[in-house]
Amino acid sequence: MSIDAELVKKLKDSSLKDTAFSELLDVYQERLYWHIRKIVTTHENADDVLQNTFIRIYKSIHSFQEKSSLHTWMYRIAYNESIRFIDKNNKKNFDHIEEVSDSNLEVLFEDDYFDGDEIQKKLTKIISLFTEKQKRVFQMKYFDNLSFRKISEILEISESTLKSSYYTAVKIIEEKIFL
Amino acid sequence: MEEITKNNYKKSFLKEGFKGGISKHHKKYLGTNVPEGYFVKSKISILEKTNKEIKIESSKGTKKQLVFWIQPHFKYIAAASLVFILSLTVWLQNKNLDVLKENDIELFSFSDDVLINSLWIDDADLESFAEVIIINEILIKATIFEQKIDDLFLNSLFVEDSLIDNYTNDGFIETFIL
Repeated sequence: MSIDAELVKKLKDSSLKDTAFSELLDVYQERLYWHIRKIVTTHENADDVLQNTFIRIYKSIHSFQEKSSLHTWMYRIAYNESIRFIDKNNKKNFDHIEEVSDSNLEVLFEDDYFDGDEIQKKLTKIISLFTEKQKRVFQMKYFDNLSFRKISEILEISESTLKSSYYTAVKIIEEKIFL
Repeated sequence: MEEITKNNYKKSFLKEGFKGGISKHHKKYLGTNVPEGYFVKSKISILEKTNKEIKIESSKGTKKQLVFWIQPHFKYIAAASLVFILSLTVWLQNKNLDVLKENDIELFSFSDDVLINSLWIDDADLESFAEVIIINEILIKATIFEQKIDDLFLNSLFVEDSLIDNYTNDGFIETFIL
């Protein structure tokens, strides 16, 4: 039995749920944090969304039907929570997606927990120019080290489309990063 | 020299893959980091929040207090009986009210008719009617009643003493001996 399957079994057992949830945090907290951070930009926002994500996981674990892996299911929850957070904030502050993108860069560079050099800033700027789909695919593949199959399950996009998006994104970065 | 370093970096960039922790990977390529000891603190905070959630949910559960309990198969019978009793009460009340209303209307209309008609009767007719009623109904009936009382008194005088003696003897024997 895999670690994930064992964790799910324990999480669904009310007497073991709390211990299993602590184990789950040890395994996935950092990974989910970085997945969220890239979507919501700042550390403060990522912290809020991470907490909401784990509370949602804790509450809805009994309804997890194990059709996908625990890993994928949790990433999907984190992704949905992040998008919900962005939508909520964008409705308050912006009218156009371009404004959001520019504003996100400003917010990121001003964040206390960003100390990137010129090349890191440039990479971030290039990624911010991608389409939403390209951005998510590239970040999940390159920074979160997820397989195409898992990204496909999380974003509900076919693997072939994902691969095409990813390689296009890589090509753009390679071309623009040292210009 | 700078060009060579740039080219080496270019070759290795995006091909290094996922080396060293995920946080280091992000720091290296995106320049993003987290506060010291953040994940430990965050874990504690998440566990506290989930515990709060459990407490809230359990308190919600205890708020549902049972007013009274009844066996499930008696519930429908009890509910049906209550409905029947209520509907019967309402129906009977309405039924009696209808009857009373009808009677009242008839009585009122009859008395009104009598009063109105009595206004058109001549005083002489009314006096002769009253005399006839008084003679027939009161005087004759009173005379007959008086005669009946006299008869009863006279009859009682003719009852034989022997019959009374027999009755009293039987009564005494039954009372004291039996």
